[in-house]
Order: sequence, then C-alpha cells, then structure tokens
Amino acid sequence: MSVLASFDWSYIWERREVLAEGLKVTFELAAIGIAGAFVVGLLLGAARAYRIPVISQLAGIYVELIRNTPILVQIFLIAYGLPKATKSLQFEFFTVACVALVLWGGAFNTENFRAGFEAVPKRYNEAALALGFGRIRTFLNISLPIGGRIALPSSINTYISVFKNTALMTAISVEELTNVAKQSIDLDFRTWEMIAVLAVTYLTLVWTLSALIRLLERRLALPEER
Amino acid sequence: MGSEGSAAVAQPATTEVVRLEDVHKRFGDNHVLDGVDLTVDSQQVFVVIGPSGSGKSTLLRCINLLEPIQQGRIFFEGEEITRKGANASAIRQRIGIVFQQFNLFPHLKAIDNVTLAARRVKKMPRGKANERARELLGKVGLEEKAASFPHQLSGGQQQRVAIARALMMEPQLMLFDEVTSALDPELVGEVLVVMRDLAQSGMTMVVVTHEMQFAREVGDRLVFMDEGRIVEEGKPADVLSNPREERTRQFLRRSLQLAPLEDLSIEEGGNE
Repeated sequence: MSVLASFDWSYIWERREVLAEGLKVTFELAAIGIAGAFVVGLLLGAARAYRIPVISQLAGIYVELIRNTPILVQIFLIAYGLPKATKSLQFEFFTVACVALVLWGGAFNTENFRAGFEAVPKRYNEAALALGFGRIRTFLNISLPIGGRIALPSSINTYISVFKNTALMTAISVEELTNVAKQSIDLDFRTWEMIAVLAVTYLTLVWTLSALIRLLERRLALPEER
Repeated sequence: MGSEGSAAVAQPATTEVVRLEDVHKRFGDNHVLDGVDLTVDSQQVFVVIGPSGSGKSTLLRCINLLEPIQQGRIFFEGEEITRKGANASAIRQRIGIVFQQFNLFPHLKAIDNVTLAARRVKKMPRGKANERARELLGKVGLEEKAASFPHQLSGGQQQRVAIARALMMEPQLMLFDEVTSALDPELVGEVLVVMRDLAQSGMTMVVVTHEMQFAREVGDRLVFMDEGRIVEEGKPADVLSNPREERTRQFLRRSLQLAPLEDLSIEEGGNE
C-alpha cells in the first residue's frame, strides 16, 4: 500500500520530455532493427532455401551462432570485443545497438523465410517454369509471394521480439526508453513511477504493434486461409 | 498476315511439330523412358495411354524440358531442343502444359493466373493482357469467374482456368498430363469438351489420358506405352478395338472393364 500511497504522478509529468526522447530512440532502434531483420532474413532465407553455395553455409553458421548465444553477449561482443580486435570496428553505441538488433532479428528471420520458401509446393514453381518464367522471375513472382506469406506469422513474432530487445540497449548506455527511466530511478529513487511508465508504454506499444501486424497478416494471407 | 490464329491455318497439316529420337530417361536405376521414338504432326491430337509408371507423364515433362534426358534427341518445330545451350524458357513459352493437379497460383485471381506470364515474361501491358484473358476465359466458359481465387473454384473450373493460362502464351503445342484424373466424375466432361473444341480449332496436342472415349473420338493417333517403351501405335479406333499386342489387350481389358470383375485377378498385370 505504501507504494500506492507515495506514488507521485507529477514526477512522471516532470520527466515527460526525457521519457519522450527515450521513446523516440526506442522507435528508431525498433524501426531499423525490424527493417534490417526483414532484409537480412529475406536474402539469407532465400540463400538457405535454394542452397546457394558458400552463402548458404555461411548463413547457416551465422544463424547457429546468434540463436545459441544470449543477445546480451552479442551486444557486448560488438560494443567491447570488436574494438579490441581492431580500432576500425569501433562504433557509436547507437550504431552498435542497431547492428546487434539487425543481426539478432536477421538470424531468426533467416529461419522463418527459409521455412516459408521451402514450404512452397514445387508444383507451383514448375507451373511457372512451364509458362516460360526463368528461375529469378519464378522466385519473384511465385516463391516470394507464396513463401513470404507462409513465413509471415513467425516473422511477425521475430519483429515483436526485436522491438522488446531494444530495452537491452540499456546495457551499453543507449538513451532509449528503458535506459532513461532507469536513470531517473538512479537519480530520484522514483522506482515505481518509472516501472509503471515502462510497463504501460511497452504493453500498449507491443499490443498495438501486434494488432496492426495481425491485421496486415490477415490481409496478406493466402486467399484460402483468410 | 496477322500473327494470331492464322499460323495454324497457314501451315499444311503434315508439318512435323515434335519428334523424339531414341529418348532415354533414367531416375537412378529406374529406366522410365527406354528408347522412345515418336512424331507428332501439326494439328494432330496425339493420345498416349498406358498403365501408371509406364513413363507417360515423364514423356510430356521431357518434351517441355522439365526433365532432362540422358540419351536421344527431341526436336520441336525442327529445332533440337535437347541440345546444350538451348534456351529452355523461350522454348517452354511455345509449349503449353496442363497438369493433373491444375497448379494454379493460389495467391492470384483466375484472370491474374491467366495473365501473369504474358505480363511478366512477354511484357504485355495489363490492359491488353486482361482483354485477351477475358476472351480465353470466355472460351473455356468461365468469363464470370475472372475475379475468383482458385480455392473458390471447383476442380473442373480450376482445370479450365489452367487451360486458358497455357493458351495465353499462344503455344504451338499443348501437352495434357492426365488432366481429368484428379476430378470428380461429373466434372470430367466440362474439361474434355474444352479440349475437344481446342482440337477442332487446329491445336496440336499430346494428351496423356485414361479417357478411352475421348481418345477414340478426338484422337488422331494413339500410342500404348508400357515400361518406358511404346508397345503399339496406330489410329485410336484400331488400337482400342483390335490391339495387336497381348500387353495392350490386357491393359484395355482391365481399364475398360470389358471382363466381368469376377474374371479379373489382382495378380494379372500386377504392375499396374
């Protein structure tokens, strides 16, 4: 009860500008992370599904590395490990955060798209070849629209995880929402006010994001599954 | 002279469209085609019958280069299409194929299924493509289904869309791979009628089928295949009524159910 009794709404209001700045950075990270994960997943997923030599094997190793290590370790590796190896790999922490999110989401999305492309029945590709489509046109006109739709539900989950993973960038002092809230806690000991802000903001955003994407998913689904 | 429709009329009926010379196809140890020779003439309806596993479907798939062959040569309109460096995509544009399972693209409406290849491969403008597609859908009796997705159509309707899709590329040859085998019995007729009309319009066709009535009435030439070889060839009525080979007789007896069921045994022709 003492938590509620001492809950200071005005403190949240006081911190509104800092929090809004943090939220903006969170959005930037999420947008870059999701867009990057889409591109990486699409390209490497296709390379995996069609067993494009060398790229397919390298992509396989990359996916295993990312999926079997904690993302926090990956973040530290990029933020602190790489600069130790060579100075040319020293980046701003915001850049590090973007790279980490894209690499993480891209790995999971590679598997999502690989599975999607592999699930396209071969007979559709054959029908396209028989109509005179070349291999690349068959991919663009048949495998991509059909396999991409099959991959959609699982890749949506990856995008939502990418969004939530932005909070981990607190660990490398990127000024995103979780980090600015934590700084406020450290400064003014207004723990519950900030936890409440984080909980409500993330819940609202992820819910909205999920709802929007599910809507999109239903619109994009193969006609027989709508 | 116009490029559409007139080509078939301008050619004398005896021009050779497809010729196979000693074609061999193996899947591992399985000799699916074992030295096939055949010639299909222009405007001919060439029917292929035989038990399943006899190589009929593989034959069609080899003709439009979906399967590579190990030995022999295939000619299409005088050009050897099995030579190294042949442009498979360009050749396939001139050979239409209709599959047993229809294989309509599930994410596209009927009309877009028909126009896709013309728009993307031949770069035909959408307006012109739609106009032509509507004509073709009208020909197969499905003009009002242009906006339907494949799953909203019956099997017979899907197969007719698939025929229109193949015709959209204005092929010189149409291959039909057991196109009525996956259909409910009452839907078979509507597809056969479309094929008959197509034959009457002068299209050169190779038809793999189990529909003996169709073979007899529409076919100009018929071959019976078994174990990768052509066992017997002739006019459909002759082969179907008076088969020379014992193997043909056996096959026809079973598939036409000429013998009462009690006279047939499972062992006889057990490889069917």
